[in-house]
Amino acid sequence: MYSQGQIMNQAKPVPGSFKRNPPIAGEAEAIEAAKNGDAEAFSKLYALHKRRVYTLCLRMLGNVSEAEDMTQEAFLHLFRKIGSFRGESAFSTWLHRLTVNLVLMHLRKKGLQLVSLEETINPSEEDAPKRDFGARDPQLAGSVDRVALERAVGSLPPGYRMVFVLHDVEGFEHNEIATMLECSTGNSKSQLHKARLKLRELLRQSEALPLTALSEVLQ
Amino acid sequence: MTDPGTQLNLEGMTPDDFQARLPELFAAGSGRISEDPRFAKFLHDNPTCEALVRDLEYIADAARQLLDPVTDEPSDAVWDNIQSKLKIAAVGEEPV
Repeated sequence: MYSQGQIMNQAKPVPGSFKRNPPIAGEAEAIEAAKNGDAEAFSKLYALHKRRVYTLCLRMLGNVSEAEDMTQEAFLHLFRKIGSFRGESAFSTWLHRLTVNLVLMHLRKKGLQLVSLEETINPSEEDAPKRDFGARDPQLAGSVDRVALERAVGSLPPGYRMVFVLHDVEGFEHNEIATMLECSTGNSKSQLHKARLKLRELLRQSEALPLTALSEVLQ
Repeated sequence: MTDPGTQLNLEGMTPDDFQARLPELFAAGSGRISEDPRFAKFLHDNPTCEALVRDLEYIADAARQLLDPVTDEPSDAVWDNIQSKLKIAAVGEEPV
């Protein structure tokens, strides 16, 4: 019988899977210790990853209270499942995938079908991005700050926001997103494109208005 | 002339054709349409498409910057709850 450590050493890392999530100093030791039930090591993993897990939950749910609940669930789930982490991807990628699946399960339990059926991923017509091939627009590049983008992402319809956060922020591939959201890869690509179009529209609106009106536009 | 990679007729492509294929084009390769020499002439001849591509690439680039650093963090109550649930589970009173 193999120990978890041996299995971890045998696993082949997926090329490129560590690019966005490079290993953190001391993380590997903490993971191995946590697998053996070391509470202090688990506490260290919490300290290392709580912000990104919480931010991921917050971006997906748009609600502080629910995001905290899901952060708690994610780490409790991590405690139970950490023995199955084999090091094939970066730990944070693995943890984020676990978190995303929990959030999606939570949303489905709530009866929100926005992530389970293709038709419900699509927002209403009024939320959909407008096709835009009119006059040449002023350049957006270089003019959008982090806060404005966060606000705009927060105001996206849930289906668009989900795919945008998973692909463009978290770095998941379309096939992974399709599996998680139970939709086709084509649908994931299409939703991502619509999300970016909608963000462009929101960001351009916010640029055209004084700062005081920004929050109203992005509500 | 049909491009074998995209199956697009790059000579006769209209802005509508281009927009319809954008989700696939962005998903293919590096996702940097503005740097793909196959589309250089089309984008040069269609400034609105060029502006659209530039903005969407910019949004995708900016999104990557949202991953780090993150400043939001959960309240201390979250860790307190986790610890208390793990302690309860450890003494076998309740499964985690």
